[in-house]
Amino acid sequence: MGYPKLEGDLEPKYRFYKHNAEKVISELGAKGLLEQLRRMLLIRNFELRGEAAYQHGKVGGFYHSYMGQEAIQVGCVAASGVSHWYTTTYRCHALAMLLGATPNEMMAELYGKATGNAKGMGGSMHMYADRLLGGLAIVGGHVPIATGAAFSIKYLKQKGLASFCFMGDGAVVQGAVHESLNLAQLWELPCLYVVENNKWGMGTSIERALAIDPIAENLAKAYGMKSYTFDGMDFFNCYAGFKEALNEVLKTSKPVLIECVCERFRGHSISDPGLYRTKEELQRTMERDPILLLKQTLIEHGMLTEEQFKEMDKEAREVMIAAMKFAEESPWPDVMTLERGVYADG
Amino acid sequence: MQTVEIREALRQAIDEEMARDSRVFIMGEEVAEYNGAYKVTKGLLDKWGPERVIDTPICENGFAGLAIGAAQTGLRPIVEFMSWNFSFVAADQLISNACKAHYMSGGRFSVPVVFRGPNGAAAQVSCQHSHNVEAIYGNLPGFIIIAPSNAYDHKGLLKSAIRCNNPVIFLENELCYGDKMEIPTEEYLVPIGKAKVIREGKHVTIVSYSRMLKFCKEAADELAKQGISCEIIDLRTIKPLDIATVAESVRKTHRCVLVEEGHVFAGISAEVGFQVMEHCFDDLDAPLQRVCSRETPLPYSKPLEKETLPNKERILFALQEVLR
Repeated sequence: MGYPKLEGDLEPKYRFYKHNAEKVISELGAKGLLEQLRRMLLIRNFELRGEAAYQHGKVGGFYHSYMGQEAIQVGCVAASGVSHWYTTTYRCHALAMLLGATPNEMMAELYGKATGNAKGMGGSMHMYADRLLGGLAIVGGHVPIATGAAFSIKYLKQKGLASFCFMGDGAVVQGAVHESLNLAQLWELPCLYVVENNKWGMGTSIERALAIDPIAENLAKAYGMKSYTFDGMDFFNCYAGFKEALNEVLKTSKPVLIECVCERFRGHSISDPGLYRTKEELQRTMERDPILLLKQTLIEHGMLTEEQFKEMDKEAREVMIAAMKFAEESPWPDVMTLERGVYADG
Repeated sequence: MQTVEIREALRQAIDEEMARDSRVFIMGEEVAEYNGAYKVTKGLLDKWGPERVIDTPICENGFAGLAIGAAQTGLRPIVEFMSWNFSFVAADQLISNACKAHYMSGGRFSVPVVFRGPNGAAAQVSCQHSHNVEAIYGNLPGFIIIAPSNAYDHKGLLKSAIRCNNPVIFLENELCYGDKMEIPTEEYLVPIGKAKVIREGKHVTIVSYSRMLKFCKEAADELAKQGISCEIIDLRTIKPLDIATVAESVRKTHRCVLVEEGHVFAGISAEVGFQVMEHCFDDLDAPLQRVCSRETPLPYSKPLEKETLPNKERILFALQEVLR
């Protein structure tokens, strides 16, 4: 296949999971693959529209775009299904949508409206679904929560379920992460810890923050865990890798540590112009746009035409424009209700 | 009836709730094989096994967060902090996750977890092991905070806490685990959010909770000899605060002293006192007085420790001030 390779010295550093793309293609078929592409386009268009709304002053707070990393969570959910527990960071829009949150409720949450995903209480960084525990925005602080979900699965003897915990490379140095890895391995909890290594903790490169590199391979050793490294820009690698890793966790009831090497196309958040990366670096990165890579493969396999792709992108855009309209027209939360929900009933 | 120590009352509460609900489990440092640093969990491992009575490594941030995650996904954990001082290591989990998850998720996830353990000073354990955490966690919306003073309330309130669908901060006291009291053999609950008048009086109201009530009673006994009767209120639950019971008493006595083991600045007494002012301004015949820990870390040396904490003499002085 004609994928551009990872640039420079990256390749020898990471030992990527070896997948068979043809096997994934026959497994998912044209219909399944087009659905994954559609999901990636929905996420991409949600982020584009969310950012636009932000620029127009419709959205406040912090806004962390998932653009560029779509292959990871799309691949994960396609391979694993939506019945597991999931937990992620403030960069949570993609996962919320993949786990069932609608573009309308998510856009309304960005706008702070009563119809929002969290009724306007959470905002961009705190989105949820029935199996998504958040949208949690203290770096590393959500990792024990995901570990607790794995604990529940084991305690309740729920066969075939696991807990997925996404975190950034910046979180890896937090104590909460190390404590979680130790507990999960010690107690044999079915948890998949997924480090999305986009190489930057805000504006600090991993070289300046982490004493180890690669992350998963080195860190997993310290806790006697199995590790995987995926090419986070390649849907096929992520899909096949997550499938294998989940099987391993379900078979052994032990956690695994996964590193997805990727790049974000935007700054850390919307207010970050990303001056620490050169234009050339970013351009090179965007040549490996996960959406374009998947599109290219589908075209090569006669499953998609350029025209159809444009149509899919247009449809996704229209969904998001409609979501913006929904959000715009939705009512503000009633200020009389602002003190409700601090406590659960009972 | 049965006569039990507070540690046994707590053990019974945990044991009964574990029998009642298979989702209830207890975890913490030394709770299982060691039978608890203060023997509160004695025998529970033998009865319930290692799946439900769980020794943790020394990683409060990790296991407190794990318990919160477990609570959000269908279980009802009880977490023992060997001391509430160690909860600061887990502060991010308590503050950023436990007390915010329900609100932040638009009501999607509740967090039925109890964090319990000894709070406040013990016997000369010095600066880092003597903190009172109620004012710190009390400042955060989303927590229930309970601080009982006797075996009856410890048992009944812990059972209610375990059944509560919100994160509960349950404060015990190392120096009181051995305090005995006669309590019913049959099951009972004590409702969360209800203060109790533990001694009726007419000249002054003393509001306190937990171990400090001992000194309040001693001071009240002293004044009784002079014909002055003190009404003593045990808050039992700090949050939600039962200000109605306090206000009713102050409207009767017209004078009020607040006694708290924690620090003066932004303490529980500051809050209760302000609410007394809001509810009873016209009923007060004297400015409120409060007796709290002085504004220092708790010193080790015995005479210094005694003078730093509220004690009978300091409470008497405050009472005499409001009665002048």
